Amino acid sequence: MGFLLESLKASIHLIVTWDPAFSHAVWTSLYVSAWSIVFASLLGIPAGLAVGLTEFSLKRPVITMLNSLMAVPTVLIGLLVYGFVSRQGPFGGLGLLFTPAAIIVGDALLAAPIVANLALSSVRGSNTAILPTAMTLGGSRFQSVLKLLSEIRFGMMAAVISGFGRVVSEVGVAMMLGGNIFGYTRTMTTAIALETSKGEFAFGIALGLILMAVALAVNIVFQFLQRR
Amino acid sequence: MSTTTSTENSGLLRVLLPPFEKKFGCKVDVIAVGTGKALKLGEAGDVDVVFVHARSLEDKFVSAGFGVNRRDVMYNDFVLIGPPEDPARVRGAGSAAEALSKIAAAGSIFVSRGDESGTHQKEKELWKNGGVAPKGKWYLEAGQGMGEVINMATQVRGYTLADRGTCIAYGKKTDLVILRQGDGNLRNPYGVIAVNPARHPHVKYDMAMKFIGFVTGEEGRGIIADFRIDGKPLFFVYGMKET
Amino acid sequence: MPLYRLESVTKRYRERVALGIPALVIGEGGIHSLSGPNGSGKSTLLGILAFLSPPTSGALYYDGKRVEWKERSLVALRREATLLHQAPYLFEGSVLANMTFGLKVRGVEGEQRRRRIAESLEMVGLGGFEHRRARALSGGETQRIALARALALSPRVLLLDEPLANVDRESAEVIRAVIAGLPARGTTVIMTTHDPDVPGRLNGEAIRLEEGRLSAAPDVGTAAGQAPGVPHRFELRLLQGPGECGS
Repeated sequence: MGFLLESLKASIHLIVTWDPAFSHAVWTSLYVSAWSIVFASLLGIPAGLAVGLTEFSLKRPVITMLNSLMAVPTVLIGLLVYGFVSRQGPFGGLGLLFTPAAIIVGDALLAAPIVANLALSSVRGSNTAILPTAMTLGGSRFQSVLKLLSEIRFGMMAAVISGFGRVVSEVGVAMMLGGNIFGYTRTMTTAIALETSKGEFAFGIALGLILMAVALAVNIVFQFLQRR
Repeated sequence: MSTTTSTENSGLLRVLLPPFEKKFGCKVDVIAVGTGKALKLGEAGDVDVVFVHARSLEDKFVSAGFGVNRRDVMYNDFVLIGPPEDPARVRGAGSAAEALSKIAAAGSIFVSRGDESGTHQKEKELWKNGGVAPKGKWYLEAGQGMGEVINMATQVRGYTLADRGTCIAYGKKTDLVILRQGDGNLRNPYGVIAVNPARHPHVKYDMAMKFIGFVTGEEGRGIIADFRIDGKPLFFVYGMKET
Repeated sequence: MPLYRLESVTKRYRERVALGIPALVIGEGGIHSLSGPNGSGKSTLLGILAFLSPPTSGALYYDGKRVEWKERSLVALRREATLLHQAPYLFEGSVLANMTFGLKVRGVEGEQRRRRIAESLEMVGLGGFEHRRARALSGGETQRIALARALALSPRVLLLDEPLANVDRESAEVIRAVIAGLPARGTTVIMTTHDPDVPGRLNGEAIRLEEGRLSAAPDVGTAAGQAPGVPHRFELRLLQGPGECGS
């Protein structure tokens, strides 16, 4: 019990003093997660729309495959990207490994299936009259699809939030591709891993609490946005 | 017993513990974690004996009353490794501390453990001796284990301080070479400490003391001195002739 | 030159044949009625005439030109013919947001846009409704707003699928009056109904569909006595000429 109280005190102290080491980890987590979600959405939303709106013979197996992609373990994605960006890999010359960019790539690949799946569900669950209505009012196919997106924006936002939640709390990709470098690629999750291995449980728990608070805050902001 | 990951990774325990277990009819459960955590486990009484290589932290541990009967067991050494092309011209340095200063001056990449491990402690000591406070884009505090740090240094073509054991183990996986070794202050002494029974009455103090006696005694020292990796000796015991 | 000409048009969904029309001609101007029981293919035909879904086989000619069902040319055509679905879908947001979409994609902006929206709302008796939330309207109001949304676009052809179904009496009167006034504004109206009395009430004959095929209209002399379901070559007669007032 005393141990938990001590950790609580430690975390409050970290927030109040805005300890630079700790705040940098928070910033890195948010920065990396935000960018990876942007790319994941650029991949996932069109993919979900395309599968949802077109009829093609392999539709069922494609949907099943899209579903299973959500369950790929983070370490596997980390391994895959590592293979591409390490010196021995085809993109080794870019020097991406152990930079925030590498984490962004990995996390984008991690979140894209989640965004795609939820976007797909949104589309499939939407009113079938939306597209024909927009089109008969004179919208081109592209304009009509944009209108559809606007009509199902809550579902789309949910897709994006889900993706964000997944990447902000993962540690496998961040550790393998970022290297946990202080002030550069140390995220909240990799920092927790480190502090725990050092036996600094209080610091680790403090970071964990902040991580949960961040996830909660993001959720609240999005809820507020969609109500408008 | 709590110990460090590098000790476990060296493979020494696999040859050192079975004879002890057989002799005294017991089993040793090894928990290999970071140095800090290993000591914390001792503080909490979660283990009976602590076996690490961080002298200053060990001394604090004992003086705070968490441990008793600290004994020197053996030592190995650290080596400074880096890219064969040696951009910071470390080869010409007069000491390990000077080598690090040259790296800082050149702004060449240096990867640090950054995790308060024994290796990290030694590294900090060397920076201090050289009168340099490492700071800047070239200084990467990785916050990871020795293997990962060697890997990172290999990828980014940087220097790092490594314990010889891990270095040998990673020989084939890296093209970095040893650029500095053998200095007196690159020694890495190992200590064994029994967890204080006055603090934690439930600990197996008897067994802990037997273990300490074993590793500092004739039989233990012999096993340690004979231990080889790739035909090379890794640890050295005090009072024995270095070959 | 007729507005629409269909030649050997069929529409099939999986195995089911929804529509089979060997020949049909629809002239420009006036109000055309398309009647038939539920499931007879009326909505399917409207969908084709609105350039929303291509026939499975056969050819559609609009303004004398054959319709190539390629996106590029279709957009321009869809901006001439607007379809009002049976249970119209209103977009999320205000009435204004709903009415803006079609005008925006046609590049109508600013004052002109505002005026056209206001005028159309006045026409259906819902002037000033711009800022009401579209989803919060009654059934009759919804139908009228959907009609206004289409009218603001001044389409050449207005296709109406059961415009008077499930609508309160007041709204039905308004809608009927609006429709009656459309030919005078140069809009061709094609409307469906499953109510067999409607053509009679509007004093004319109608295209009648049964199971996707044209069937004989009760008043057409040459078709009298023939069994329903037999395909005929039809020239659609007007319920109401382009210059006449509504009944």
